[in-house]
Amino acid sequence: MRVNKELKKRIEKIYKNTQVEFPEANRMVIKTKQKNLLPILEFLKSEGFRQLKAISCVDWIEEKEFELVYQVASLNSPLHIMVKVRIGREDAQMETIMKIFGNAQVYEREIHELFGVKFRGNPDLSPLFLENWQSIPPFRKDFDTREYVKDVFDKIPNVESENEKS
Amino acid sequence: MDRKSVIKWIKEPGKMGHKYSLWAVYFCTGCGIIEIPPVITSRWDAERFGVIPVATPRQANLFMITGYVSLKTLKAIIRTYEQMPEPKYTVAFGSCPINGGMYWDSYNTIKHIDKYIPIDGWIAGCMPRPEAIFIAVTKLWMMIDKGAATGYIRYRKNYKFYRRNQEKLFGELAWPPLYPIDEKEDESE
Amino acid sequence: MKVVEFVFSPFLAFIIGVFFLGLFRKIVARIHQRYGPPIIQPLLDVIKLFHQKGFSHGVLFDLGLILSLAGSIVVILFLPFAGICPLKSSGGLLVILYMMLFLPLGIALSGGEGANPNISIGISRKLILSLGYEVPFLLIIISVMNFYKTISIVDIVNSQGGFRWALFSPLFFSGIAYFMILPAMLGIRPFDIVSAPQEISSGPQVEYGGKYLGLSHIQHAFSIFITIALFVNLFLGGGENIFFFFLKMLVVFVSMVLIHSVFPRLRLEQALRYLWRWPTIFAFLGVIVSQIMR
Repeated sequence: MRVNKELKKRIEKIYKNTQVEFPEANRMVIKTKQKNLLPILEFLKSEGFRQLKAISCVDWIEEKEFELVYQVASLNSPLHIMVKVRIGREDAQMETIMKIFGNAQVYEREIHELFGVKFRGNPDLSPLFLENWQSIPPFRKDFDTREYVKDVFDKIPNVESENEKS
Repeated sequence: MDRKSVIKWIKEPGKMGHKYSLWAVYFCTGCGIIEIPPVITSRWDAERFGVIPVATPRQANLFMITGYVSLKTLKAIIRTYEQMPEPKYTVAFGSCPINGGMYWDSYNTIKHIDKYIPIDGWIAGCMPRPEAIFIAVTKLWMMIDKGAATGYIRYRKNYKFYRRNQEKLFGELAWPPLYPIDEKEDESE
Repeated sequence: MKVVEFVFSPFLAFIIGVFFLGLFRKIVARIHQRYGPPIIQPLLDVIKLFHQKGFSHGVLFDLGLILSLAGSIVVILFLPFAGICPLKSSGGLLVILYMMLFLPLGIALSGGEGANPNISIGISRKLILSLGYEVPFLLIIISVMNFYKTISIVDIVNSQGGFRWALFSPLFFSGIAYFMILPAMLGIRPFDIVSAPQEISSGPQVEYGGKYLGLSHIQHAFSIFITIALFVNLFLGGGENIFFFFLKMLVVFVSMVLIHSVFPRLRLEQALRYLWRWPTIFAFLGVIVSQIMR
């Protein structure tokens, strides 16, 4: 615990506009601004937190923001760190972190497909499992799945009834 | 079960052969694939009905759609189904191919598989037990006897409508039409 | 009389081959503690396959399969079967050695036309495996020809009359070596790397459908008959009438099925390492012992 509190002091001293909290034992949450993200991740990697576990995205629709959560961990310490960044919901863009963690390419591809966030610098942002998609990205909170099903799937006619008509 | 009646074998060998040696393509869709290994191994033995799994669609007779079908899987199912030699039979397991099942309001699964591939028989359940699968095989035999298992004939006759439904879902399809559209039947593959 | 023998011999081989295929599935099923299909199930499969519309990939695709089937039928005409041998006075062992290679080569020819890489992988494995078992096989044939001083199989069968089988004579080691390479010649476990369903989607048969697969099944039945009949003729004394010949073939085949259901599958280099070590040593011993004690 002493090691973690020292880490918190160092981060807050170096980077402005950053808050560090410990919501539970062995969990650390760092809330920061978009321009501080890459330096913080490089600093954490040099401290020994070399594994990027996941990148998640949360849709805060009333506050009109997306929140990206970068989860890093280390094989030598039980601490699990989440770095949270808020970006605007209209025309959401973000810098890629592939230079620091190479496996971020697939996570960013998934978030682009499901939420619509563009990542500058990512070489391949093509969809993973949606075919011929022509609506808004499906994981946003203003996407209505029942309307979509009525529009696309229920409008395709049965084959036998067409045959009886013609 | 009239597998032993020699007279029927001499009079109609084709129909009896299609009944008592159904070879199933080992295609794994959705959740139902967990029900297929118990059916083909020792406890509920499917080989005594003549049903064995084969590795490629070119050698197969029977296509089992076991569970929900997403859009990417539907592309693979259509290509596999068109490679099988005629006559071929399809059976759909579970409630997801019938009307969407548990995923009735999902944006990425197919609700009625009958609009894209012709189906001969449906088995209800989520998932059906192996005994239900055997009852379906015996009902399929009775349908073949009466000449009512005509999925492949319907596919050939109404190919224009099936292909139009597939194109509504996927846009431009990467493979050419199996039968020439708006002409007399003439296999082009 | 001769014409009847020409027609009757492949027909009898077909019936016995199909019966052995069905017996194979039934015995394996009983070992797995389940009921299996009826014994005539391969015949029902062949009847179904001839009523399906298969796809052809070109002229060579059909001709390669017909070449392989024709090679099998000609080998059957050279093989004596309890006194029936249509072509007994020409060639004998040397012709059979040469024509037994038509089976994989015909399938290789048709597989070159079918545009699937699984076929090439499967057929190259088959040819490499036959390179493996041909080495002890040739040594065995040489020792048999040297001991009985003839290349005609009918003479070899006649000089083993009664119970003076070659297995109990100075050719004992050659007989043991032949029994050790029989699974490789039949294509059953531990040597069924050729048509592995999970690995390469059943190898050379992956593009066959409809009547081509039916012909391939018939050719498989013929090849089982040829391999076992050759072993029974050379080392177990042939047979005075059909009943004893069939009984000897049945004993050999059931022991092969029991070996098949116990072993896993060997990789290709493991199979070659086995085939060039122990059966070859036994075949060498057989050559030397039979030459010394002649």
